[in-house]
Amino acid sequence: MSTSQTSAQGWERLPPRLRPREVEPPSSGRLWRFEVAVLLLVGLLLAIASVNDVVLKTHTNHRLVADLRTWRSYTGNDYKNVSAEQDLKHHTTTDVVCGNTTPGPPKERIQLCLQMTGPTVHGYRAARGGWYLPPKSENLRRYRYGCFGPAKQQGACTR
Amino acid sequence: MNVAAQSELRPAPTLSAQWAPALAAACALVLLAATAEIVLDGSLAHSVLIPKSPQIAGWLTTPFGGGALGERLGFRVFLIAVLAFSAGYGGLALLARSVSKRWAIALIAALHAIIFVGPILLSTDVFSYIAYARMGVEHGLNPYTHGPISITHDPIYHYVGQDWKKVDTAYGPLYTLISYPFGLLGVTGALWGMKALAMLASAGTLALTWRCARLRQMDPVKALLLVGANPLYVIYTLGGAHNDLLMMLLMMVAVALTFAGRDASAAATVVAGALVKATVAALLPFMILARRSRAQVLGALGALALGAAIAYAVFGVDGVNIVAALNRDAAFVSSDSFATEIAHLFGKPGVFPIDHDLLKAMLVLIVAHLLWRTWRGYDWVAASGWALLAISVTSTWLLAWYILWPLPLAVIARDRRLLAATLAVQGLFVFHQLTPLFAPVS
Repeated sequence: MSTSQTSAQGWERLPPRLRPREVEPPSSGRLWRFEVAVLLLVGLLLAIASVNDVVLKTHTNHRLVADLRTWRSYTGNDYKNVSAEQDLKHHTTTDVVCGNTTPGPPKERIQLCLQMTGPTVHGYRAARGGWYLPPKSENLRRYRYGCFGPAKQQGACTR
Repeated sequence: MNVAAQSELRPAPTLSAQWAPALAAACALVLLAATAEIVLDGSLAHSVLIPKSPQIAGWLTTPFGGGALGERLGFRVFLIAVLAFSAGYGGLALLARSVSKRWAIALIAALHAIIFVGPILLSTDVFSYIAYARMGVEHGLNPYTHGPISITHDPIYHYVGQDWKKVDTAYGPLYTLISYPFGLLGVTGALWGMKALAMLASAGTLALTWRCARLRQMDPVKALLLVGANPLYVIYTLGGAHNDLLMMLLMMVAVALTFAGRDASAAATVVAGALVKATVAALLPFMILARRSRAQVLGALGALALGAAIAYAVFGVDGVNIVAALNRDAAFVSSDSFATEIAHLFGKPGVFPIDHDLLKAMLVLIVAHLLWRTWRGYDWVAASGWALLAISVTSTWLLAWYILWPLPLAVIARDRRLLAATLAVQGLFVFHQLTPLFAPVS
């Protein structure tokens, strides 16, 4: 073995297989192929996961579009700044869409929130219930009032 | 030799070789047009992609004093521009041999210039950098013990991202000290200063990438184009003036010093890089295993001791404890991380604490394998690049500029698989951004 391949100075006590080298041993071809196989498998997993995630997010976006369209249709207000919240806690497809009841900046007027459930049919979803929020309030239970539909039975409001 | 004699000696160029320069020029124009489109629309007003910022690029929208050009930057225009940029980048990578040194440098200088005059793109991080600097120099607060919420009355506060207002700095003490003078320039001055710092760091990184490629007898033009015209590099990282560029500059300084046989300085530079952003410390064990020089260990220890002493003197014990900040950030989860995508693939809502432990164990295994390979003669530059790529892929908090870390190493590594893997991971990241293109929400 030439000195250009190994640099065992100070490492002679180690068995040859454990000594440091300047260049890789020629037998590393098998290892190279193994690494390529692992890399391809990991790449395939990442690619499938990415495609799956884009499909999931696309479905979610289609649902949110239907939610916003339903809110505008129910209220008759074609406002741009309407907010939609997903159920991130329980991971259901029930979304809550809130928007002003009268024209004004976002959340600066009394807001009407609607609970959207069920499948998207012809670009719309069913609004099963909801509540009101005072101006300048976030959609938190302590601010909600005037619950109607299933939201009333669920105790979604404090008032 | 006259022209006729030259043409007799040279083989006749193939059709593809004849068209290559024109195709490369077309790809370059696509890159410039896509960047200009993003910058011009981004200059109009803040949007979901352009953070609220002091008005530094408004003049771009009315260059002739007339009505505003373009429209507020939305996902559709942005993603189409990113896709066009990526396609042009792919074309340039394939046609790099037909691009001259002069034209490659001109293209990259033009891309930098367009980004420099434009607004901050996609991220509020630069406002956090400025907030931490102003906390130190204007308000006498330690950014390692206070978040920007401590300076609500400061004009920079309103520009800091909502998620980062209560968070102490996670950056290294060297970066915090470098950023302090910018805090004295006012918000707009500091913003221009940060943009200039990012540009200079980028120019240095690219110059060293060129130099290292030449030293390794690789095509320096191709190396330059693969890094400097990369969409994640130009749009996401330069566009946001991220301090990752400074970290990458120090990383490439360390690589160049190692190639020049200056082991102690190289190891000290890696430590300096880690005192900007800790991730670059991943290079050090590979460098030491490959060179096995006592000077490296002494250089690293000396730099660490000096850095720790200065950090302790200026910031106290919290400025030295970078591990605590790293542990805090490692617990964050972003929707773009591959860990989250794999969790979704297996029907889980997201990443759980056990997944963090599994990912850390996987990273340890990968790094151990790379260390063993380096000990047995594998290219340490490639091993360092693989380690940085593994860190970004196994991270639950993945941002575009994280998957850029291995790129300068990948273009000069002897193992070409690293470049293929880095570009593939970047491609998947870009693909994952495309949902609003398929299903826009309005």
